[in-house]
Amino acid sequence: MTWIILANAKKRRARVAMTVAGIAIGVATLFALLALSAGIEQALDREIGAMGANILLLPEGCPYELTLALMQGSDAFEHIPTDVLPDVRSVADVAVAAPVAVGKAKINGQLTSLYGATDEILAVRSWGIDTFSGAIVGSDAAEKLGVAEGDRLTLRLYANEEIVIDAVLEPTYGRDDTFVFVPLAVAQRILGLGEQLSAILVRTRSVTATATTQSTLGRMSDIQAVPPSDVFERLMELFATVKQTLILITGIAIVAGVLTTMNTMTMAVYERKKEIGILRALGSTKVNVFRLFVTESLVLSLVGGVAGVILGFVATQFLPQSSGFGLEATPVFSFLHVVICLLVAIVVGVASSLYPAMSAARTQPIKILREL
Amino acid sequence: MRIELAGAGKAYGQGEARFWALRDASLAVDEGNFISIVGPSGSGKSTMLHLLGCIDRPSEGEVSIDGREMEGLSDREMSGIRRDHIGFVFQQYFLNASMTALQNVLLPLDLAGVAGGREKAAAALETVGLGSKLRSLPTEMSGGEQQRVAIARALANAPGILLADEPTGSLDSKTGNDVLEMLVNLNRERNLGLVIVTHDEGIAMTADRIVHVLDGRISQ
Repeated sequence: MTWIILANAKKRRARVAMTVAGIAIGVATLFALLALSAGIEQALDREIGAMGANILLLPEGCPYELTLALMQGSDAFEHIPTDVLPDVRSVADVAVAAPVAVGKAKINGQLTSLYGATDEILAVRSWGIDTFSGAIVGSDAAEKLGVAEGDRLTLRLYANEEIVIDAVLEPTYGRDDTFVFVPLAVAQRILGLGEQLSAILVRTRSVTATATTQSTLGRMSDIQAVPPSDVFERLMELFATVKQTLILITGIAIVAGVLTTMNTMTMAVYERKKEIGILRALGSTKVNVFRLFVTESLVLSLVGGVAGVILGFVATQFLPQSSGFGLEATPVFSFLHVVICLLVAIVVGVASSLYPAMSAARTQPIKILREL
Repeated sequence: MRIELAGAGKAYGQGEARFWALRDASLAVDEGNFISIVGPSGSGKSTMLHLLGCIDRPSEGEVSIDGREMEGLSDREMSGIRRDHIGFVFQQYFLNASMTALQNVLLPLDLAGVAGGREKAAAALETVGLGSKLRSLPTEMSGGEQQRVAIARALANAPGILLADEPTGSLDSKTGNDVLEMLVNLNRERNLGLVIVTHDEGIAMTADRIVHVLDGRISQ
């Protein structure tokens, strides 16, 4: 039957091209949405995992906004007093408590994320560095600032200081690549935090101790203890709401596509009434005619589906690669997404062809022959 | 193969608008017969052809195919009879312009899932003298050649009876005569039942039996 479909398509090139393009655009939107969503989920998972902490101690306030600010290297209004640190460290099962002060500062004249930390940060990150007294610069930040190991950085905001670069990190493909890490006291002076902290990253002696330790730490005043997994789940819930809305919009676009294709197919049936009547007179059954139209639509939809996947892939290469959470999110492509998109195309093809195909199959040859 | 009309008639329309296109027609067509149906436009000759070809059902009387009454046949069974036992040729050729001669003949066979369709289609085109034009498009062929493709399409599934509605009506006289000669030869050489609807007395005279239709009734 393929040759019949090809011959008919050749006869109605413009109509076929428009039908395929309509389906392709809908599928491309869906494919890009799926790839970007998966990318954002992966980026969130990666960034939260890269913190290297079982528990985040945050100032009182919205834990999700504060976690995002920490991940993005942005300033927050709320802070933790440094004097809670000894109490935190005294809690049983707290193996590491790494205080951090994070915010944007002018580094070599460019606004860059400054991440103040003590040597304890080295215990929760996997950089292969034991100690630092100068600056550790992420790979992207080094490229942006045009600096290398041994160079001097000028830090400026609430204070004005210079610091020597101890090391430039190998790319981690996370937000660490964009940070300039400096000793905690330096960051506190530059960011004007005094004796305050943005957060304390806590690692427990064992994973099983996380819940009890979180409970103990959560009872301390001025701070809240949040497991990153909770933050991840909550952010994913927030993202799921956005994703559902986008999928709904895409769904509406696809339904509109179904109706448009149905209209196109119905017009095609009307135009081809004579052809259908002759085929019926020559012995084609209603089922033969029905199958012809459904198959034609299915083939066009599949071509549109494949074109849509390719179009969606190309489109994602040109879209800005950052999520609504301000994280670097590279689109993630999977075979499952391709299958979903092609299935949607098939459903569009079948759904849009049912009415016109039934209408074509119901054509009585005598009615057509009497009109000739 | 025998198709028989027994007092068959056909009415169209409803209520006040209802009119009889054909009434009380009795005619039997067997393989090997050559019958012409003659009459002016609107006399009911095409209606008779449609009843003979299982394209339409009678409003009165009976139509039987090999003794089986049409009344008891489903739409699918009627399609099967048209596909396997009856060939149709129309005044206009009704070829698909984007399909080659071979594809036009193959189309109804392929749609119906007839086995060996391609070979049957090629053989039918060979029969009508178009063996060298299998890949030609209708736009590359003359009117006579296009009508021969249509005849090949009607012959492809080896029907017992061929029904032709004004088959030479769109052709010049010489080409029309060639096409008619071909149909007559098929009737003689293949024992094909041939029914030609025409308003041309000259063509009608070539048949073994002439049926005159006037105002919806067989007049002689």
